[in-house]
Amino acid sequence: MLKQILASAWKDLKIFFKDPGAVALIFLQPFMFIVVMSYALSGLFEPGEGQIQLLAVNQDRGTQAAAILRQLDEMDAFQVETTWEGQPLSREVAEKLIVGGKRTLALVFPPDFSEVLEQDPAAAQRRTTRILAIVDPATSSQFVEPILGTLQGLIERRTYMAMMPRGLDHLFEWLAPQTPVEQREAFKAQAQESMSGGLVGGTEPVVTVERTTPAGMQVEQYPDTFQQNVPGYTIYGIFWIVRLLADSVLREKREGTFRRLLVAPMNRAVMLAGKLVPYYIINLIQLAIMLGASSLLFGMSLGHSPGGLVAVSLAAAATATGLGVLVSALARTEAQAGGLTILLLLTMAALGGCFVPRFIMPGWLMTMGLITPHAWALDAYQDLLVRGYGLWEVLPKVGVLAAFAAAFFGIGVWRFRFE
Amino acid sequence: MPDSMIEIDGLVKKYGDRVAVNKVSFHVQEGEIFGLLGPNGAGKTTTISILATLLPPDEGQVIIGGYDLQRETGRIKPLIGFVPQELALYPTLSAWDNLAFFGRIYGLRGTALKERIAAMLDLVGLRDRAGDAVRTFSGGMKRRLNIAAGLIHRPRVLFLDEPTVGVDPQSRNFIFEHVERLKAEGMTIIYTTHYMEEAGRLCDRVAIMDEGRILALDTSRGLIGLLGGGVIHVGVAAEAIEDLLPAIRTLPHVRAASAQDGRLKIETSEARPALLELIELCNARDVPILSLEVLEPNLESVFLHLTGKRLRD
Repeated sequence: MLKQILASAWKDLKIFFKDPGAVALIFLQPFMFIVVMSYALSGLFEPGEGQIQLLAVNQDRGTQAAAILRQLDEMDAFQVETTWEGQPLSREVAEKLIVGGKRTLALVFPPDFSEVLEQDPAAAQRRTTRILAIVDPATSSQFVEPILGTLQGLIERRTYMAMMPRGLDHLFEWLAPQTPVEQREAFKAQAQESMSGGLVGGTEPVVTVERTTPAGMQVEQYPDTFQQNVPGYTIYGIFWIVRLLADSVLREKREGTFRRLLVAPMNRAVMLAGKLVPYYIINLIQLAIMLGASSLLFGMSLGHSPGGLVAVSLAAAATATGLGVLVSALARTEAQAGGLTILLLLTMAALGGCFVPRFIMPGWLMTMGLITPHAWALDAYQDLLVRGYGLWEVLPKVGVLAAFAAAFFGIGVWRFRFE
Repeated sequence: MPDSMIEIDGLVKKYGDRVAVNKVSFHVQEGEIFGLLGPNGAGKTTTISILATLLPPDEGQVIIGGYDLQRETGRIKPLIGFVPQELALYPTLSAWDNLAFFGRIYGLRGTALKERIAAMLDLVGLRDRAGDAVRTFSGGMKRRLNIAAGLIHRPRVLFLDEPTVGVDPQSRNFIFEHVERLKAEGMTIIYTTHYMEEAGRLCDRVAIMDEGRILALDTSRGLIGLLGGGVIHVGVAAEAIEDLLPAIRTLPHVRAASAQDGRLKIETSEARPALLELIELCNARDVPILSLEVLEPNLESVFLHLTGKRLRD
């Protein structure tokens, strides 16, 4: 009995190691996943590596904004950029960089920033000002809020340090020994407000941070967890059609039904089309269900361009189905198809930003992500769902997806073997 | 209407240096069951695959129903039905759905399709299992449905590639009866098998194939006649073979005798009396008989006679 077990085990080991697809599935796929995900997340786990780049437009006529920016830059997590191509950064250039996808966040310090912080506490009317945080609306709140929180902390510290001495001087001049209780209480409140720069107890802080978007980008809704994750995981999900399609084609070859169909009066292009169409339809249904359910159940905005949504979905589904044809053509066994699919899909989804946003990846990995259709599809969906763009704006990305689909399909058909 | 339904002339198919089909020629009359008999790897499936338009030939000409296979494939396809060696069915679909799919591929629709499916299910005895998934069927039931799928569009020529492989005796008989019924309806059938009893029972004519070539082609009776009354293989000491051969050739019931693989090969007009004469001769010459094999006259022994190999080798 033991000999039979050993013989069976040896036979299966031989079969396994003779099948490159199965070997890739077991060894290469997890390795690729580890490599890609580790690089992708390096910015989150390794201080000093993959710093978050912040654009800073300093219009301040004084020194207070510069001091805050210096403190931000001294932090390991941030790299503050106040110039671009050798020129001081302007708001227009910063917005262009965000719209172009090169940066995700810019801070604009107003010209009167220092004057407001250093104003006379005895002034009849207190002056206020605001810092603009210009953010790509597709950027996740998990990324933006900690940055704004850090900035808020630095502003409070700066405000307190700038305003406290003047506030106390004023209070000593104002204070008299025979002050009634009610007047004393009013003094306490005034002291608290003055010493915190209006952040505590006052009617309005002297400095506020206002979040906005670059000119030309509409904000449908700041992305919540669903808006961030649904497009990413939807795209990740639709590409699994590759596995279904490849398995189905290889099963037909193995079971001889393709041979039977080849005898029938049916040309090969029709046969292949007949094979693809149902999977393309399944993909579209999958997209409709995932986006529809996320909208109905979680209140996720679908943007204001149904035409754009349809165009991106048709192109994304075509790309996924095209990749299915390519894998069906390259794989000779179902095990090979399985290995190749998992290797391709996980790597492409990770590189394309389906699991973690591409903007937290190192620059070279962000660029590399553009070789995946996932990155283009995800960006196109975020244009529609979050940035409020319409069909016209997403057409270039739809074009790129169509080119991916044509390339996958073309190579797949060229390499396809019916037997 | 052409005299022959199928005309094959000088057919050659190569895979690299290996010649799978080597200058094969034969004609098949309309309504005839033509058998291709040979062991695995003889070239039967390659030949039938070329005829079924699955493989292009490297050389030679094939005419089916008056149409040239290479130039008029589109006209040939509706004429032919193909039952592959594999169970080429969709296991998760029902018997009805499988037949409906293949019927639609051939252009059947609506009532005509439904009637044809019902007729096919009746024919193969699966009407009561029409709605069941094929994966729940026994091997024999799947084989029967496999044949029905090849017949759904009423082909004039049917290619049956080893249709009884892995089938229980009951289903095998069912398939035999079914093939005979198709012949009675006038269908032309090319039937490949490595079971000599199938070829003997079903086929009007049989081509014996080995290593890509046709070694003999005749009716079963004609082929068996090649052996006369049977063949006797006798093992004797090597030095006795040359002494015995002239005497054996003079025995009354011996037609021919030769040395083959260190044994005597004796073709007889009648095996039993020839065997007695042979034993008497060996006794008289004091030559011990080391082994003895009598091949009854059938297609198996014809194949052995022609190739020196057994069909199931």
